[in-house]
Amino acid sequence: MSETKSASLRLLEASEKISQGAEAKIYRTQLHDPVSLSESTTDGDRVLLLKHRFHKQYRHPSLDASLTKSRIAGEARALIKCLRSGVNVPGIRMVDATEGILGIEWIDGKSVRFLLGGGAEDDEEVIEDGDVPEGEDDEAEDEDLLKEYGVSEDALMNMIGTEIAKMHQADTIHGDLTTSNMMLRHPSSPKGLQLVLIDFGLAYMSTLVEDKAVDLYVLERAFSSTHPASEPLFAGVLKAYEKGVGKNWTAISRRLEDVRLRGRKRSMVG
Amino acid sequence: MLAQLISISSIERPYVALGLEGSANKFGAGIIRHDPDGSTHVLSNVRHTYITPPGEGFQPRDTALHHREWALTVINEALKKAVVSMHDIDCICFTKGPGMGAPLVSVALVARTLSLLYRKPLVGVNHCVGHIEMGRQITGTQNPVVLYVSGGNTQVIAYSQQCYRIFGETLDIAVGNCLDRFARVINLSNDPSPGYNIEQEAKKGKRLLPLPYATKGMDVSLSGILTSIEAYTADKRFRPDGPSAEDGEDIITPQDLCFSLQETVFAMLVEITERAMAHIGSRDALIVGGVGCNERLQEMMGIMSRERGGNVFATDERFCIDNGIMIAQAGLLSFRMGFETPLAKSTCTQR
Repeated sequence: MSETKSASLRLLEASEKISQGAEAKIYRTQLHDPVSLSESTTDGDRVLLLKHRFHKQYRHPSLDASLTKSRIAGEARALIKCLRSGVNVPGIRMVDATEGILGIEWIDGKSVRFLLGGGAEDDEEVIEDGDVPEGEDDEAEDEDLLKEYGVSEDALMNMIGTEIAKMHQADTIHGDLTTSNMMLRHPSSPKGLQLVLIDFGLAYMSTLVEDKAVDLYVLERAFSSTHPASEPLFAGVLKAYEKGVGKNWTAISRRLEDVRLRGRKRSMVG
Repeated sequence: MLAQLISISSIERPYVALGLEGSANKFGAGIIRHDPDGSTHVLSNVRHTYITPPGEGFQPRDTALHHREWALTVINEALKKAVVSMHDIDCICFTKGPGMGAPLVSVALVARTLSLLYRKPLVGVNHCVGHIEMGRQITGTQNPVVLYVSGGNTQVIAYSQQCYRIFGETLDIAVGNCLDRFARVINLSNDPSPGYNIEQEAKKGKRLLPLPYATKGMDVSLSGILTSIEAYTADKRFRPDGPSAEDGEDIITPQDLCFSLQETVFAMLVEITERAMAHIGSRDALIVGGVGCNERLQEMMGIMSRERGGNVFATDERFCIDNGIMIAQAGLLSFRMGFETPLAKSTCTQR
């Protein structure tokens, strides 16, 4: 360790920690220096979310360093691929692979899990949305939550399906699709109402039908475990997804049937 | 299954159980006693291991033969050490599975015969649950995340909704299998166990060689690592007999390979355990199974658990490596909950 701290570490120290998972700590930070920012920059652009993959003491230092580096780089790469393909994901603001820090756009909104009344987050591995819901919320309130965003449940499912289809068409596999890893951008924010996919910590590139089907299956399981009466909801997601992936749907849907029967892992007989 | 969280009914007299284990290359017999005051006593724990020459694994047929040859000797010694006779035993517990078919069947046969001879009830025990219950008994942990690592199993298990559930596991080979097979590649002795010898060699290793690091969510994949580390033994820089005088810095010794293999594989195991701990909200980790007596794994798991404000619990080779006493412990607990295996159902399963 050098005596002088790197700029990104100093930024981290000045930030407010909002959550911690098994792998990373999440911070919210505000960029102060207005000189480097143009006049037109809105307040929203100055707020960053920092994801710090901290050092793991139990790992051999050089193994730890190379893992952190490749994981941060991988996550950034997946985000860029999505951005280029027009998938709604947080924009990248900074990458410091050596320190394991990824700075991304702050999304002003709520997680889909919260909006659907999935209750408080349990210890998810990484909670990337800033607004971790607090306490219990009852059913009646959920209706109001969605109303505030001006969308119906059906419209929300349609947005989810469309976004995942766009991502899969870009051959990006999310790896951990859950309703906590999707956010709805508040309609009052500059970019307006949007469904944003977050946390690409487990994402990878693949053209295989198998991987896309498993990705959908993971989401289906997440729906059924966190949201009561999820079947019509998930059917709505698939309907929009079918439209989004076009002719690829036949192969993916057939594989999804197989995956449902055998579970996410391939059988290892023999 | 063994719902200890629902309090087990108290007993009015001591209960004694005989446990027979033989799912892999160890034959074990153990006798345990539960006293009315709630205490548990290990009366005896005898084991005989089938050791093959270096470079060879154990074949099911020969292992079954070993168990048949040693069963009566080991059981008699266990009874003698415990100073109990077969008539004092309340139930005979045996491993129902998972494990190797032939060895399991021969041990079940012994259990069935004893049960008929002495008119004692049989209790079939799941091998994994045996490991977990023994680990919990010895260490006294309440609700840990369990890392079960042995020659045939690699699983992250936690107790949830009245059941032990698997949260993560290997997608291909078990970690013990990976270590054992590598020990064969570099011709390490199988005595006392290949894993132990790798651990000793690793202490002398200095150089960390790059190996694949394959964690997928809460699962790991190990077969590719075995292939990669085997490839190093064909490398020009590899010196099977240690460095010679004219060698420079850039050489690879078997010790370096053992060190790299352990560091990489154990880091992966600790990582998936940590994910499960974060998911469940548990602070303590319990390591069971044969690989669990590796001190480097225990050390790494300890660092991780302390960072999370918890502790790591592990046992030594007497209880980590397959043994009869864990089968007796898990079997006696289920027997006290009213569970018995009728003779007609005293079958084995490899899975």
